[in-house]
Amino acid sequence: VPSSMQCGTRRMGVMTDVHRRFLQLLMTHGVLEEQAVKRLQKHCYKVHDCNATVEKLEDFINNINSVLESLCIEVKKGVTEDDGRPIYALVNLATTSVSKMASDFAENELDLFRKALELIIDSESGFASSTNILNLVDQLKGKKMRKKEAEQVLQKFVQNKWLIEKEGEFTLHSRAILEMEQYIRATYPDSVKMCNICHSLLIQGQSCETCGIRMHLPCVAKYFRSSSEPRCPHCNDCWPHEIPEIFNPEKEREAGTSSSNKKSLRSRQH
Amino acid sequence: QKPPPPARGRPGRSAQTPPTRRKVEGPGTPWGPDGAGAGGRPRRRRSQKQLEVKVAELVQFLLIKDQKKMPVKRTELLRHVVGDYKDVFPDLLRLAAQRLEYVFGYRLVELEPKSSTYVLVNTLEPVEEDAEVRGDQGTPGAGLLMIVLGLIFMRGHTIKETEVWDFLRRLGVHPTKRHSVFGDPKKLITEDFVRQRYLEYRRLPHTDPVDYELQWGPRTNLETTKMKVLKFVAKIHNQDPKDWPVQYCEALADEAARARPQPGVPAPSS
Ligand SMILES: [Zn+2]
Ligand SMILES: [Zn+2]
Repeated sequence: VPSSMQCGTRRMGVMTDVHRRFLQLLMTHGVLEEQAVKRLQKHCYKVHDCNATVEKLEDFINNINSVLESLCIEVKKGVTEDDGRPIYALVNLATTSVSKMASDFAENELDLFRKALELIIDSESGFASSTNILNLVDQLKGKKMRKKEAEQVLQKFVQNKWLIEKEGEFTLHSRAILEMEQYIRATYPDSVKMCNICHSLLIQGQSCETCGIRMHLPCVAKYFRSSSEPRCPHCNDCWPHEIPEIFNPEKEREAGTSSSNKKSLRSRQH
Repeated sequence: QKPPPPARGRPGRSAQTPPTRRKVEGPGTPWGPDGAGAGGRPRRRRSQKQLEVKVAELVQFLLIKDQKKMPVKRTELLRHVVGDYKDVFPDLLRLAAQRLEYVFGYRLVELEPKSSTYVLVNTLEPVEEDAEVRGDQGTPGAGLLMIVLGLIFMRGHTIKETEVWDFLRRLGVHPTKRHSVFGDPKKLITEDFVRQRYLEYRRLPHTDPVDYELQWGPRTNLETTKMKVLKFVAKIHNQDPKDWPVQYCEALADEAARARPQPGVPAPSS
């Protein structure tokens, strides 16, 4: 490649039907775990270009993102907040009137989501109980909503991968965090929590009882990986929580399936 | 067939890149240096970046609507996205169409001439394993739609609604009963598919009890062909398409007409 082609701006990749089908299918899903993304990539090569060697996933996605950049869209990689599984979502970066949720939900439903989001952000644990959310249905904008309906709408948020439910409590789906991080930080600057390690938005995690800094569970696990006596990275006091076990691709491969990993982190610390 | 890859070195987000003017087909660029459009009308000066963001918003909006298979009206685009960029709307829409096709493999098509209603048509053939890779059953309605389209085609382009239900009842699909896959089949066929413009649904005059007739909607001819529908019908009956000579001849003629050069993508009327 002549160097002149690359100077100044990032080199824009070339799209083929392999990439297009990949994007189409990723879009219908909203979010996928890494294993599923790799399967999807392989599938798209098989359909359109079975002789080509499958490009490394990272390069494949970087190529797509270089083209998506001018559209303010990105295939974003993240990890699940509880057990650190890598996930990918097609995310709109521009904070505009164009919103994925707005086309799927009515005004009162969107307001219910907003209320749930506020409760989740304000909570210490990153979870809001369904009781607390449902208590707010009388204050919703738009058409009046009954509690029974609100319960169904909450389930719809779970199905559409905006919320996760665990034992009657709700937290944000990692897909929602990927998609809404900018919005949440701009809208709730005083109540958002940030991770002391990776400096991105934190909904659920652990915190230091002495100085109050917070860390994502996967960040905790990585940070204290080899320390026998974990100490707070900020105040150096003893870290008062159990070090969580998180997703490990090597272990996953040995186990063959993901079933063995399901037990990880049912308990929640704050 | 495919549009040429976009020019390299287009300004991304890096500020130091000198703005390369994008090539726009047709006379007059909407953001020419002299601030005058094709008609010599003076136009407000807008930065390349602002216009790029508008194109990005159009692309995002059209993609979101496509997920629900909802046709988009020009007025909706103007109201929700374009705002006070109305004067350059045709150019913005053309650029959005180019991006949609090059990046995602979706062609922006006006539903009917002069209808000012747009849909995205997939340029990639769906393959069976797509659904498998997605790990879901895809769009559950698609099979039901094909059955109804088949019924209509085999009956000579029009069928009474009562006849549709007589047939579907034999497959265990009832107008008044909830179906495990299709949900509310009556709503799906007579409301959703109609709103998505796959079907036309009209009340028959002088019928007692009231009956309706169903025909193919304008979108059907954009997304499928008579031959594909006939092959689908033949497959269910475990027969050959040639077993229905009338329909087969018509499907062949349709294929021949499609092979002739067409006027192409209707230009968005401004
Ligand atoms: Zn972190
Ligand atoms: Zn501390």
